[in-house]
This record gives sequence, structure tokens and C-alpha cells, in this order.
Amino acid sequence: MLDLIFLVIMIGVGYFAGTRVEKKHYKSIEEREAKFIYLPAVSSKNLLEDRPIDSTLLVQGNAVIATDYFKVILAGLRNLLGGEVSAYESLLDRARREAVLRLKESAQGADIILNLRIETCQISTAGSTEALAYGTAVYYKK
Amino acid sequence: MKFTPRQIKGNVNISPVSPVKDFFELVLRILGLILAAYILLGLAVDYIAPRVSIKTERKLGRLFSAGLKKGEPSGLEARLQRILDELLEKGRELPPFTYKVYVEGSKKINAFALPGGNIVVFSALLKKADSENELAMVLAHELGHFYHRDHLRGLGRGLIFLLISSVLFGGDSSANNLIHNALTSAQMSFSRSQERAADLYALDLLNKTYGGVAGAVDFFEKMSFKEKCWPVFYVFSSHPYPQSRVAALKEAIKIKGYPVGQKRPNIISEDAIQETKEKDI
Repeated sequence: MLDLIFLVIMIGVGYFAGTRVEKKHYKSIEEREAKFIYLPAVSSKNLLEDRPIDSTLLVQGNAVIATDYFKVILAGLRNLLGGEVSAYESLLDRARREAVLRLKESAQGADIILNLRIETCQISTAGSTEALAYGTAVYYKK
Repeated sequence: MKFTPRQIKGNVNISPVSPVKDFFELVLRILGLILAAYILLGLAVDYIAPRVSIKTERKLGRLFSAGLKKGEPSGLEARLQRILDELLEKGRELPPFTYKVYVEGSKKINAFALPGGNIVVFSALLKKADSENELAMVLAHELGHFYHRDHLRGLGRGLIFLLISSVLFGGDSSANNLIHNALTSAQMSFSRSQERAADLYALDLLNKTYGGVAGAVDFFEKMSFKEKCWPVFYVFSSHPYPQSRVAALKEAIKIKGYPVGQKRPNIISEDAIQETKEKDI
């Protein structure tokens, strides 16, 4: 019985804390995405404009996002019956977008980021996820 | 080609489902599946239980009786054993176990049968009994559980529940604790219908042995006076509400037309009970 009460508390804390953190994070992501909209990051390997280049630079952004207990349980239940694990969707989405934002932050003054790639992996068995975004920052001649 | 940056509206990467709704839906579906599996496997146990060999049950019995003290029975136990032996002579179609009575010191008014033929009586119960017939009724009731092989049923369902949980949540050490808990609770509790069936068996056996059913309901009548529990809550309990048990027994006596017969005085003396040290079990 005590185990069950403990479990319910853990799930409750996980849900409320997790939701709060996620909301805050999304707000910050959206703000910064608007701020960095002037800097395009594209998956193309080739230049989109025919302009002389001053320099290029490998830039990368890395983000690790932890899950919460509620999501772990929800995903665990989903594992029993099959179907879409919607619990982890927001986790990956946040990690991906945060990584791209950090990549843009590290490419100060660049005109475009080419050949953008995103990779992801699991960090711990507890369910933290990592996203790594890397690409080539291109600086045109002014 | 000119690149025009623009923000994408909405987010296709996140399913528009409420996680809370998703959670409860999953929990209900899984509970439903577990329930269905439990009922199905339970039916399987009801089918298998009467077909388990005496040899296997005896083996199981050894597992459960490991905690019982060995050696010579006490004076109290010898006297109870005499009552039991008398009942066994008339006991119809009982599985061929070696039936033995053990007395445990405890403040709880209870008696239970362990798989394999051992019956444990708590000392507080002995104090409550005023006549030998009452004690015989209690012992006969436990024999009724052996007759119906209720242990295997109780055990089987406990084991099945354990099996399901260990498949779902993995067989770690907490599952081992569950095994123990499931088995100990299974040996103590039977369903209400099983208790009633054991009552009816006991009534019949008491009538055969003592030539009447005097004292059969005395014990339960005393208990129902003690019980201060709302009948509503008793619905969920495994032992039938003593008041209804008394009524059911009285009705069975009327229908079968059992003679009343003579009560025998209690041969268990107060002093002998005092000898058994009470501990809280």
C-alpha cells in the first residue's frame, strides 16, 4: 500500500513539475526562434546565393532534456499495449529545437548555416535524450 | 534562389492528445486485461485444483508447515487431537493426509488449515469455546476446507496473480516479497462461498460424530455479538459476516432436519490455555 502511495506521489510530482518546466521551455524556444529568424539554417549542401565567401566555420549545438516520472510511466504503459509513444514526442521536439537554437547562437554574425544535420541519442536508461545539431556557418564578404 | 525565413505555425511533431487522458485510458485498458486474464486463469485453477494429486499437495504442505514447532504435542494439543480423530473417523472422502492440530498462542480469535493436513488453532479461540461441540465445529470447518481442497484454489489464484505481475513488472526482489505475501494471505483467506461450503460440511460431520448439531452455531453467535462492523463493509471481506453465517447454519439445520443432541462439556481447562504463552501473531 505504501508503495502505491509513493508511486502516486511520484507520478503527481512528475506531472506537475514536468508540465511546468515544459511550458517554460517552449515559451523560451519560441521567443528565441523569433529572435534568430534572420539566420537561416538549411539542410542544403550548396550555397543558395552566388556571393563571394569570406569564411566558413563548423558550428554545433547540443541539448540534453530529461524526462519526468509521469512520462516514464506513461511510456511504460504504452510499451505494454503498443502504439505511438506520444509521451516522449515533446521531449525530442524540445531537444531538437534547443540544439538548433544553440547552434545559431554559436554562429554569431554568420549569414547562413548550410548542411544542417541533427542527431539524437539516449543519454541514460532513466530516459534523458540528447540532440546534437551541427552544420557549416557561412560568412559572406561584406 | 532567395531564402525567405518564416516561422512554422503549430507543431506537427507533437500528437494533440492530452497526456492525462492518455494515461487513464491506458491504465483502464491494462487493468481490464489483467482482470480478464485473472478471471480466465482463475477458472483454469478451479478446473485443475480438484485434479492435483495428494502427493503434490503433501509436498506443498511441507512448504507451509515449516514454521510449525516440531516434537511432542502439548497436553492441549493432544486433547484437541482426540476431538479431531473422532471427527476423522466419520469424515467422508477426506484426502488421506495425516491430520494434526497445533495450538499457537495469539490474541486473535482464529483457526486455519494449512495445505497438507495441518490445522492451527489460536489460543484465544479456545478461551471462547464453552463446549467440546463448539471446538469440534471449528475443527470440522477446517476439515471442510480440506474436503473441498480450498487451499489449492486459494493458492492457485495467488500464484496466478503473482505470475501476471511478474510478467508485467519483471521478477525482481520486490516480486519475491509479493510471492510471500500472496501465499500467506492465500493460506488465511477463502472466499465467502468457500467458507459457507466448509460450514455445511462441518455441520454434517458434527451431526454424524456427535449424533446431533448441538453447539454448532454457538461459536458464531458469540462472534457475531463481538463483531462491530458494518455489514456494508463486510461485503468485501473474505469471511462471511458471522450474523449471516449463523442464519445460514440455522436454515441448513432446519432444511436437513438434523437432531439437536447433547452438548459435551469443554475438556479444555483454563489453566491449560494459560500455559500457552500469548504472543501477537
